[in-house]
Amino acid sequence: MLEHFHVPDEDRVMIRRADLFKTTTDIFESMGMSREDAELAADGLVTADIRGCETHGVSNMLRVYLQAFAEGKINPTPDWKITHETSAVATIDADKAHGLVMVPKAMDLAIEKAKKVGIGAVTIHNSNHAGMMAYHAMRAMPHDMIGYAITGGGAVMVPTYGAEPRVGAVPHAWAVPADKMPPFVLDISSSSVAANKIQLLRRTGAPLLPGLMADEEGTPIMEERPVPDGVRLLPWGSTRELGSHKGYGMAVIGQVFSGILSAGLFGVSTPPGNGSQFVAAYSIDAFRDVAEFKSSMDEFLTYLVETPPAPGHDRVYYAGLPEHEETIVRERDGIPLHREVIEWFDSTTDDLKLDLIERMS
Amino acid sequence: MLEHFHVAEDDAVRIMPDALRKTVNELFLKIGFSEQDAWQSTDVLLLSDTRGVDTHGVSNMMRRYIEGVNDGFINPTPKWTITRETPTTANVDCDRGLGIAVIPQVMELAIEKAKDTGIGMITMGNGRHAGMIAYHAMMALPHDMIGYAITAGGQSMPPTFGAEPRLAPNPHAWAVPADKEPPFVLDISSSSVAANKVQLLRRMNSMTIPGMMAESDGTPIMDERPVPEETIVLPNGATRELGSHKGYGLSAIAQVFGGILSDGAFGPYQNGHMSHVVGVYSIEAFTDVKRFKSSMDDFLKYLRETPPAPGHDRVYYAGLPEHEESIDRHERGIPLHHEVVEWFDSATAEFNLAPLER
Repeated sequence: MLEHFHVPDEDRVMIRRADLFKTTTDIFESMGMSREDAELAADGLVTADIRGCETHGVSNMLRVYLQAFAEGKINPTPDWKITHETSAVATIDADKAHGLVMVPKAMDLAIEKAKKVGIGAVTIHNSNHAGMMAYHAMRAMPHDMIGYAITGGGAVMVPTYGAEPRVGAVPHAWAVPADKMPPFVLDISSSSVAANKIQLLRRTGAPLLPGLMADEEGTPIMEERPVPDGVRLLPWGSTRELGSHKGYGMAVIGQVFSGILSAGLFGVSTPPGNGSQFVAAYSIDAFRDVAEFKSSMDEFLTYLVETPPAPGHDRVYYAGLPEHEETIVRERDGIPLHREVIEWFDSTTDDLKLDLIERMS
Repeated sequence: MLEHFHVAEDDAVRIMPDALRKTVNELFLKIGFSEQDAWQSTDVLLLSDTRGVDTHGVSNMMRRYIEGVNDGFINPTPKWTITRETPTTANVDCDRGLGIAVIPQVMELAIEKAKDTGIGMITMGNGRHAGMIAYHAMMALPHDMIGYAITAGGQSMPPTFGAEPRLAPNPHAWAVPADKEPPFVLDISSSSVAANKVQLLRRMNSMTIPGMMAESDGTPIMDERPVPEETIVLPNGATRELGSHKGYGLSAIAQVFGGILSDGAFGPYQNGHMSHVVGVYSIEAFTDVKRFKSSMDDFLKYLRETPPAPGHDRVYYAGLPEHEESIDRHERGIPLHHEVVEWFDSATAEFNLAPLER
């Protein structure tokens, strides 16, 4: 993530991964989930935090999930079922399951299929917010597979030339294992900026950058100013000249694979971030020798990070590398949460009669 | 395509698709393609030109293909082989065959796999230029399947923050059928502008657009100026703040699926060596086909009926402008730059063929 999205030093409280996992699991369990499902959901959320993707970690999401449980939108004990199935694919009705529970299970099904026939793909509907997409894609890696995950839904982003939001900022994530190099993990929204980075910008008081958003009429805001009310998300590329049709197109194709393919869902019929996902696992062995592939990946990723940097930059990265490095730091130093988030944890654990979240001393 | 990439009406010679098809097909036969491969290659080029994707049509590509065959770089009679196979996948060695001849044949195989299992995906190494990859993805449409295609190879684009080109603007294409609406066909390079659009800009003496390309040290050009001699393309998004890591990432994932998964090709691998992937998802395997197509109609209509932002009169979806352009070009002919028509005349003269009919 860009530096100005990070929690300022003076507002930080450091929490160990294991402690964040425990409290988050306790909270999910209090919502009526089995301990096993609660741990699965907590793992997805805490993985976002340990990788530095705090937009999709506990800070923004946990309170949203609790609200959704309270409103009956998330079913803590879903009776999900497969409605269509072949050797390689399946369609799942999630029975309002939490996405952080349903999507990993769907990915596990895709992995099983890929073991047998080379590829597995599963489309899911009637689900809920599924957290950081990279988490689901990454489940394929220990099986020497490439993982792919999409979540659709919502109408928060304007089409290119449009004045009204009609697509979600639908993210696509891929995870590709290497041998010695940290894996390539690409998790990209199809908007210029992820919807809940705006929330983070408002919280940290950082200004809006040119091209990140449109005004209420759909016109791209091309100068720096504080985040106004009533902004619209722009497709990745910002303007047609710079390729906003590519972000718009990625949102549409993501919606096709998740929403339309599973149950014909799109636009206003689908609450933001809600409802439909698509996961796929591609077995490397079905295409090429796994050891050779991983060694080629090492060479490719090394070649990329060794690109001479452009003036004003000191390093070149690849997707997944900064998150890998952040993980090492956060495993050691803890996860920095905004004190306001800690206060929310304390009042929540108090309400639910759970142990206080443990701070690092 | 953006208006300023189009051939100016003054410079345009209108050629009817059938006339262009005849001449292009004859040229492919002359350079040693089999009848099947010549027909197939011609069909890919013609679809680009009728859909208005001039960058990947005859104007830029035909002379390159002929040169490639003459240089011995493109094998005009490839015997492509399957090196690995499962019920849903295969890996193919293209034997240096031109992508526009080989990829459609491989796509047929992927479609067969999808009929059996629901999915087919095939990687291809040792290939040559793929043409407009939307063509390959669109082959899935008549089978009620979603098509996907990637081509990857070369190095003309720097990574985000990089000063040196280490990957290419590798494109991804998807094609999704609807019922009454024209199909959704998305074909996007991972750069701000396709590499051969820069060529087109130079030919038309157009200006740069801020954020479209970088100086030769990797610094994004953020103003309007004549296209410099030395530029490198930028990942789509232009700067990190606007999401250039997404274009960089899409390029890398294309290289992984195409090159690394097929034969390990990337970066400094032989120039012009291309790797490809085609994928097919059978709609019937996931849901009722009729229900899907009718939902697609509703979705695409919902998108194109979005109220336009100030200064715009319509909202499109990917594939809609190309569909409309195709209707127009079938009626009025394909506008080729007179310089391109002159090239055709010299090529047909050289091969003792009848000149391209105007």
